Order: sequence, then C-alpha cells, then structure tokens
Amino acid sequence: MYKNQTTTSLLRSETLACEGASLAYVDGARRVTYALRDVTVELSPCRFYGIMGPSGSGKSSLLYILAGLKQPTEGTARFGDFRYRERPETEVTGLRRDKFGFVFQQPFLLPYLTVLENIVVAAPSIGKAAEELAMTYLEELGMRGLEHKLPSQLSGGEKQRVAVVRAMVNDPAVIFADEPTAALDRANGHRVIEALARWRSRGTVVVVTHDAEMVADADALVILRDGHIDEASTH
Amino acid sequence: MRNPLSAFTYFQRNPSKVLPMGFVIVLSVFLIASVATMVNSIDLTITTIYGYTKHFTYAIPQRVTQRVPADQVAIIKADPRTDRVMEASIFFTNIKTVFGRFPFVVLGVTDENRDYLMRRVGTELLPGGRMPADGMPEAVISEPLAKNKKVKVGDLIAGPNDEGGISGSPVPVRLVGILKGPIWIAFTSKTFCDMTFITTPRSMVFTSKDPGQLLALNNDLMPTLHKERGRLNSSKVQLLSRQNLIYELRDSLSSMYLIMGVVNGMVIFVIALMSGMLSNIYFTQRIAEFAVLSAIGYQRRRLLAKVISETLLMTLVGWILGGIVTFLALSYMKESVFEPRGLLIDPTDLFAYKYTIPIPFSITFFAVATIAVRLMRLDPVSIIERR
Repeated sequence: MYKNQTTTSLLRSETLACEGASLAYVDGARRVTYALRDVTVELSPCRFYGIMGPSGSGKSSLLYILAGLKQPTEGTARFGDFRYRERPETEVTGLRRDKFGFVFQQPFLLPYLTVLENIVVAAPSIGKAAEELAMTYLEELGMRGLEHKLPSQLSGGEKQRVAVVRAMVNDPAVIFADEPTAALDRANGHRVIEALARWRSRGTVVVVTHDAEMVADADALVILRDGHIDEASTH
Repeated sequence: MRNPLSAFTYFQRNPSKVLPMGFVIVLSVFLIASVATMVNSIDLTITTIYGYTKHFTYAIPQRVTQRVPADQVAIIKADPRTDRVMEASIFFTNIKTVFGRFPFVVLGVTDENRDYLMRRVGTELLPGGRMPADGMPEAVISEPLAKNKKVKVGDLIAGPNDEGGISGSPVPVRLVGILKGPIWIAFTSKTFCDMTFITTPRSMVFTSKDPGQLLALNNDLMPTLHKERGRLNSSKVQLLSRQNLIYELRDSLSSMYLIMGVVNGMVIFVIALMSGMLSNIYFTQRIAEFAVLSAIGYQRRRLLAKVISETLLMTLVGWILGGIVTFLALSYMKESVFEPRGLLIDPTDLFAYKYTIPIPFSITFFAVATIAVRLMRLDPVSIIERR
C-alpha cells in the first residue's frame, strides 16, 4: 500500500510525470486508434497546470494516466519514484486515496449522503478531524450552512464546489480536475477554478479544460492535438 | 459521525431500494416456513394422537390369536422394569386430522387400572362429568378430543352411524366426562367393550416402574428380536411402542419430507436467483457511486465488503422479519382456523424455520458472487467519462 503520511512534505517535492506514454484502443473494425501517442511531460510540485486541446485530443486520457486511473499501453507514468506499472493495483489505488484528489466533469456525489458525509468519505479516516477540515474548506468556498443538505437540494455549482472540497479533504499532493467547469455557468466556473488554483500553495493542481479563460492563471499549459503534445503552444 | 458508507446508513436513506428486496425475502421465508409447518403438522398430529405411548405400551395380539398368549405376557411380566400389565379392550372414535378422519383409541380397562393410568399420564376429570359406569356405553375423552369432535358431556362420540375408517360402535356411546391433562386419552369400561366388541383382539397394556425406562423396556421386548430367547414373538404379538411409532411415522413421511426438501431447494434457488438479479439491477443503478469511490482510492475489496455487508444485513433482517411474520400469521391461523377445528399446528416449530436458514446465505451468495465479478472488472474511468 502506498501509505507514508509522515513524508508528505518530501513527496510534495516529487514530480508527476509520464514518459513516452501512449494509449491505444482497438475499435470495432479492429483498427488501432491512439488517444495519446508518445507523450512525455513532467509536472513540478505545487504548481497549477492546465491541459488543453480540442475534443478528442487526449486531454482526459493524459490526466487519467498521470493519476494512475489508466495504464498507458506504452511508456510509463510515475509520481516521484512510484511507477504505476511496476506496482500492484492495490498500491496504486492506495496512492490515489492518500495523495491525490479528484474533481470530475460531474460532481458524482453520493445521492443519499449529506454534503458533509460526501466530503469525509474521501478523508483518510472518518472522524472529528476530517469533519472539522471539511467544514473549514466549506467555509472557504462559501458553503457553510449547507453541510447537512443532500445533493438533490444543491445547485449544480454548489455540487461541484462540494466535489472540490471532497478532493481537498485528504490534503492531497495533487488535485486532478477533468473539465470541472464544463457543466457550470461562468460565475460558478470561476469560483471552482479559483478554489483549485489556491491549492497550488499546498500541492500540484492539474486541470483539463477546453476553456482557455479557466486556466489563464495557470503556471504552465500542456496543449494536446491528436494525442500529441503541441510543442509550439505548450509553455 | 457514523460511517457514511455503512450498510445501516444506506438502508436508512434508501428505503425504496431496500424494501422491495426485503419484502421478497420476507415472503419467501413465510412461504417456506409455512409449508414446512403444515407438513410437520402431520408429524405433530400423529405424535399427539399417540402421546400416551410415552407412558404405556400396547402389546397387540395378531389376529389369529385374539389374545396375547400367556407365555408372551409372562415375558413382559418377568422383566424387573415392568410395573403393571393389564388387559385392555378397545374401540375407536373418529377424530379430524390434517390428513382426514383418523381413529382414536378408546381404552377399556378396569376402574382400578383406569385410575392408575390416569395418574401415570397426569390426567384428571373436569368438574361436571363422571367416569363411565361399568358395562355401560359411556366414555370420557380429553378436552382437545372433545373440541376436535365438537362434543360436550351428554353427546354421542361413537355409534352405528359413524362414517369411515374402523371407528364405530354397534351401540351409541355417550360422553359422560371430559379429561384435562397433557396427553390425549379416552376411556370406557372394560366390561362394555368385552360385551360389545366380541371379535376385537384384547391388547395388553404395560407400564414401567420408572417412566423413563419405558423406551428401554420396549427396546428389550421388541418383537423384531423374537428369535432371541426371552423376547416377544412377533408372530404372536406386536408392540405399539413409542419408538416403533416414531420410526414408522418418519419412514412413511420420509418421501414427503424429501419432496418438501426438493421443492424448498428449488424455491430457494429461484428466490436467490431473482434476488441476485435484483441486487444486480440495484448495483447497476449505483455503478457511478462505486466508480467514484474506486477512483478516489477505495480498494475493490473494501467496495466488495460494502456490498457483502449491505446484502447480508438486508437478507438477515428480511429473514428475521420473515420469521416473525410467519410466526404471527401461523399463530393467527392456529387460533382462528386450526384450533376451532381441533387440528394441530405448531407456529413455534423450529424444524420448519430451519428450512429457511439457507435463504439469506444463498441470496447473499448469488448477489455477491455476481456483483463481485462486475466489481473486479470495474473500470471507473469508463463510467465517469460516460456520464
């Protein structure tokens, strides 16, 4: 299991990277299609990264490979020296639990749990400390008072902000966000991105988006086109 | 805060998903336990009708002899455990049972022997009645028998117009008293039987000094061992002993129990299959929940444990509720349907409830096995991206 809470600061000095990563699919006609092809990136700790590109360019695939949610068909991905391919699935899952936070395009809140409960399920251990931390983040995001509401009682923007707090409650070294503002209006989108961007003081933030305005404040951008890194645009 | 992912939280917050499946389990427990209880009521009826065999044994002569031969009586008397041996004449009165009319023996013994047997079985005469007069066509019967036959003191319990079976008497026999006690029993006067039922074989009734030794005494006198010296000769005498009765009863019911077992097995299999499919449907509805938990770092075995705990809790609660519902329903049926007709049924029959034990486990097994396969193959990204 990837468990080493005492070395958090050390891990946060470690980079997130993939080297020569490709992700190929075999379609119905048995043709090999590449979602990602020979991509190498290295993301430094405590910075805000934007991954951009048109639809089908492989943005989400790159994010999921970096997060250990997908294994590249070729190449490797790693967090520091922790190479996902070389570790059993349980350890990779443990890494996600201990060191990563996730925000998806949809909030994916458990409908029968309250806001507070939805947040603490992502905490390393469910208890008073996790509740207090969750309440702190809820307050920072202007959501205090909603902790006992069910997701069905929240607006779309509120739900996504709950998802952001859920991604933060385990104090992750990296937050991965896949199109977190796609289903939100502009104002709510900005609130979510601002909350994520602030996290760079504590860890790395990787945001996939097709909206350049949302990552205008990013420390660096990775631009993808047809599964390749568009070197000309990446900075 | 209670663990938000505990089975209790899920149950509490999702009654619309839990109740239908719980209802199926309750119904299946009710169905199986009720059928088993009904079938077991046959066993209960027979052992109740022959309840007196716990206290005394009949030695019945084979038809050709009419009486138990003296040498065989001597064998019974010679055993040091034997307390009393008495000649009895009998006739039968019809009672209603779950399997139709059944002849119940009315025992004709001397007054002294009757009083002795009544003490042995713990029975006494209820006020308002009396014992049969010597030589008169009169009888006393236990309270449940009177209820079964719907008769009261002064009514006829047997006569030339009796229908069916070997019951009946060429003269009307009147009920003169009702007995209260733990055993179903009926008495008439020996003189009346001897005068009226001339061709009926005369049985010997014997008891043991220590009532607890009766079964051992029966075993040692068992006619099946007649070749051995000192045993009863089965060509001359048969023993209506407790153990013979139970053996023959279980033997004759074994096919029925086999059929019941097969039917129950099939019902449990179908219910488990249906419940497993239902669980799978609910799991499909919750697939995003499991996908997101897997994505944020919950191990598959932890998710499987969640599924197992939810399924097991639901089936166990359903099973317990099913048992309670069955008990209440059968108790109501006993009070309102069975007992007024003098029929026997035991809602507390644990043997019937044992048939339902496989239900929660088979449902859990089917549900968990199928869901486990899907969980092991779960690709959270494909589900998250699809939405």
